[in-house]
Amino acid sequence: MKNGFVIFLAAFGVLLMSWSTFVLLPQLQLGGAKQVAVLNSSDVYPVNRPGEANQGLQVYRANGCAACHTEQVQQTGVVCEVVLTSAGKNPSVVSNLVATLKLRSLTEQEAEAAAGKITAAGGKAETHVIATGADIARGWGLRRSVAQDFLYDNLVQLGSLRVGPDLADVGRRRPDANWQLLHLYAPKSVVENSAMPPFRYLFETKKIGATPSPDALILKKEFAPAAGYEVVPKPEAKKLVAYLLSLHTDVPLYDAPFTALQTSTNAPAK
Amino acid sequence: MTVNETNKIDASCRVPLLVLFGGAAMWLVLGSVLALAASLTFHMPDKFGDCTWGTYGHLQPAADNALLYGFCIPAGLGVVLWIFARLGQTPLRGALVPVIAAHLWHLGVLVGLVGIFVGDSTGYAWLEFPRGGSALLFFAYMLLGLWALMNFSGRREGGMFPSHWFLITALFLFPWIYSMANIMIVGWPVRGVVQAVIAWWFGNNLTFLWTSLIGLGTAFYFLPKFSGRPLHTYFYALFAFWTLIIFGSMRGVPIGAPVPAWLPALSALNSLMLLVPIAAIVVIGWKTIRGGTGQACKGGSYCMIKFGFVSFILSALLLVTSACSHFSQLTQFTWFGAAQTQLQLYGFFTVTMFGAIYYILPRAVGIEFAFPKFIRLQHWLAMTGIILFVAALVIGGVAQGLKLQNPDAAFADSTKAALPFLRASTMGLMLMLLANLLFALNVFAMIGAWKWSLVKTVFAAVIAPLNKPEVKA
Amino acid sequence: MSNEPKSPGPGTEPTASRSHLPMWTLVVLLTLLYLGSIYFDHHSGWFDKQVYSPYGTAAELELYQPKSGAAAAAAQGRKVYESICGTCHGNDGLGKPGQAPPLAGSEWVIAKGHNRLAHIPLAGISGPLSVNGKEWNMAMAAMGAALSDADLANVLTYIRGSWGNKAGEVTADDIKGIRASLAGHSQTMTYDMLMAMPE
Repeated sequence: MKNGFVIFLAAFGVLLMSWSTFVLLPQLQLGGAKQVAVLNSSDVYPVNRPGEANQGLQVYRANGCAACHTEQVQQTGVVCEVVLTSAGKNPSVVSNLVATLKLRSLTEQEAEAAAGKITAAGGKAETHVIATGADIARGWGLRRSVAQDFLYDNLVQLGSLRVGPDLADVGRRRPDANWQLLHLYAPKSVVENSAMPPFRYLFETKKIGATPSPDALILKKEFAPAAGYEVVPKPEAKKLVAYLLSLHTDVPLYDAPFTALQTSTNAPAK
Repeated sequence: MTVNETNKIDASCRVPLLVLFGGAAMWLVLGSVLALAASLTFHMPDKFGDCTWGTYGHLQPAADNALLYGFCIPAGLGVVLWIFARLGQTPLRGALVPVIAAHLWHLGVLVGLVGIFVGDSTGYAWLEFPRGGSALLFFAYMLLGLWALMNFSGRREGGMFPSHWFLITALFLFPWIYSMANIMIVGWPVRGVVQAVIAWWFGNNLTFLWTSLIGLGTAFYFLPKFSGRPLHTYFYALFAFWTLIIFGSMRGVPIGAPVPAWLPALSALNSLMLLVPIAAIVVIGWKTIRGGTGQACKGGSYCMIKFGFVSFILSALLLVTSACSHFSQLTQFTWFGAAQTQLQLYGFFTVTMFGAIYYILPRAVGIEFAFPKFIRLQHWLAMTGIILFVAALVIGGVAQGLKLQNPDAAFADSTKAALPFLRASTMGLMLMLLANLLFALNVFAMIGAWKWSLVKTVFAAVIAPLNKPEVKA
Repeated sequence: MSNEPKSPGPGTEPTASRSHLPMWTLVVLLTLLYLGSIYFDHHSGWFDKQVYSPYGTAAELELYQPKSGAAAAAAQGRKVYESICGTCHGNDGLGKPGQAPPLAGSEWVIAKGHNRLAHIPLAGISGPLSVNGKEWNMAMAAMGAALSDADLANVLTYIRGSWGNKAGEVTADDIKGIRASLAGHSQTMTYDMLMAMPE
């Protein structure tokens, strides 16, 4: 390679290829994305966050929360499950059949075969699709995060390190605003051995006036302020909590299908 | 080239290098302090709760950016200026412009770091600087790059050495990726997750490809120089260059990212392909060093360049592991990534820059270092520190990942598993901070000695007897 | 820089030696490219923007979409149609001249009521018949007589909703009723018989 111009062309060509693949093509594919339909429902997804929650995203960003928390649920597999919905006219035949069949952790073809056998015996069966993975087993989400989840986020805060748990679906598993505020002020008071620093500067410790503020945090003894004082969240803390409560990825989409069950559980994740 | 000509070439770079390297040394120390503080927040989280500046989310990005933008890029640009001048046998002209550009660069870093602390951080790794800072950096880089290219195109010695390819490509790479990333993420943000894809593309091209190009270009210049043998070989270097830029620029999207499967799959493919340039680079280093003058490792420049070279191989191999989806899933949100980044930026690039600066600066300024014994001490401290840091966090990251992948283990177990390794890494950071202080001490002492020599020159000129003809009475 | 591979002393500028690149570099490059391409083939979804891991292809993703009742019935109807009816009427519903009339846009298929339509596969049809303005004079056996109520209903629903047809579904109960009314009469339908019954 004899002269600088040749090097420039080489570098330019390679950079152009890299840019086209990782900047241009993703922008063409995903940049114009719009709301999509939720599977088996007439809803669209996602819905833009209410104003306070959007401001909360900026509080999240400014405090560097993404340095310790991720917002992307991982999924490593998908399985099917066959569920009996009706025993039909010959319940004993059907139940004997069901006892012999494997009904969980099936591939799609296996599930179709099992459901076919049940239908042939006169019963009715449904195939459920379930996402699998360590994050999902831990209760951090019902499916993987996809591009659609971040449609209205500006700037997207995916995170890259899990010093703290993943937050993509935290609005579903910790929907209590009071818990969130207590966790921000004194993480150790609600999570034993938490490594999270207390974000006390998001709160104000002030003298109790004529009556205590309705906002005041109800803290355990060792975290409570001195007698006569109360801890009140500042607007930033409230916005941040509104944002955290708005974090949901619990609807099935075409890109990440799963069978949404009617019952929900409020059991907190580990 | 005669000795006189070489001295003239070195001297022509004097002031730009002093500004670039001096500021870089300052940011290096500051970055180390911030990194240590960030690390300490894990051992005593309660101490930092009353001040927004004291949270990990502010300290770590500031530390990372101080290292990369404060030290790595200006040091690299300074080394490029000098290598171009030497290889082309042409002194650097119009040194005032690079001097101004260097000051602008350091001002940009200052603006950027302040921006992070007051809450203007963008939240994207390596792109945290708000707009004012990044605009200054872009402009300063363009000036410095332009000056290097002008020296290159006006060079007396027309032939090209392999280092030229690496360094010139790096000069073009940064403005492209920096402007794209800032425009499409910070300036006129694209929608949703595309921001993250561009951020990954930018981060990989800057922290891996740019530093590899500059670091390898520097190593390929100094290794044959120190070993007394020719670089082995021109064609190996050409092969390494092409494969490095093609495969190295087409990776960076982590597995499991919330983007269509082709992006992580393509990244994994190219991460695997990195084995090809790595193999070529290993051969180049091995054959160039072996059988050479082999000065015993006295902790000087040659030692540092060799250590940096080996660190590059290890760091690139750690990147190759991201091609294995099981291992990648295990380590993806753990300290493993931080270990690889520090090995690349500090173990490889910073130590290589140390080696280059310890060689270049005395020749450019014409003064020896004030504390030569500290050079060897500094090298051992830096080496021990980075080895401790990286080994601790690689193992700690895997331990953390194993707990994260096990849904029966409580989440807190993963942080607990990593804690002893974090403590070891904090010790590593302390050693690195000491090393950086010793380096900065030598650089600042040289700046001081130079300024003092300027003062003495001016003073001597002022009190010198005037050469005036005898006044006939 | 000079091309001669003599070693410079320290303090002079470095040179590069010029021996040729050995073959193993290319072998390693091509081998890794090959292995990597196989990986890419299985895991990338070939640039489809809807395919996310763990799904490897768009077809696999489609398989795992939860099937609602209507979608399942249409899928079943299509399967049966293509295995039994498509050979003569074409999988594209355009029919085959000299073999079977088209179903796409056929007034018999998209009629508001499904009574006449259902009789055709259940009892067979022969004799002159006009479809979309063209005259046909063929004989069709009672191809649907052997199908279950559900299957035939799904097939008729399928053809009434495909290839631009937009007519309502046919239920298994409908078919049951018509079958019952035909019990005992093994008469092939003709144009006159069809026009004599309600639509």
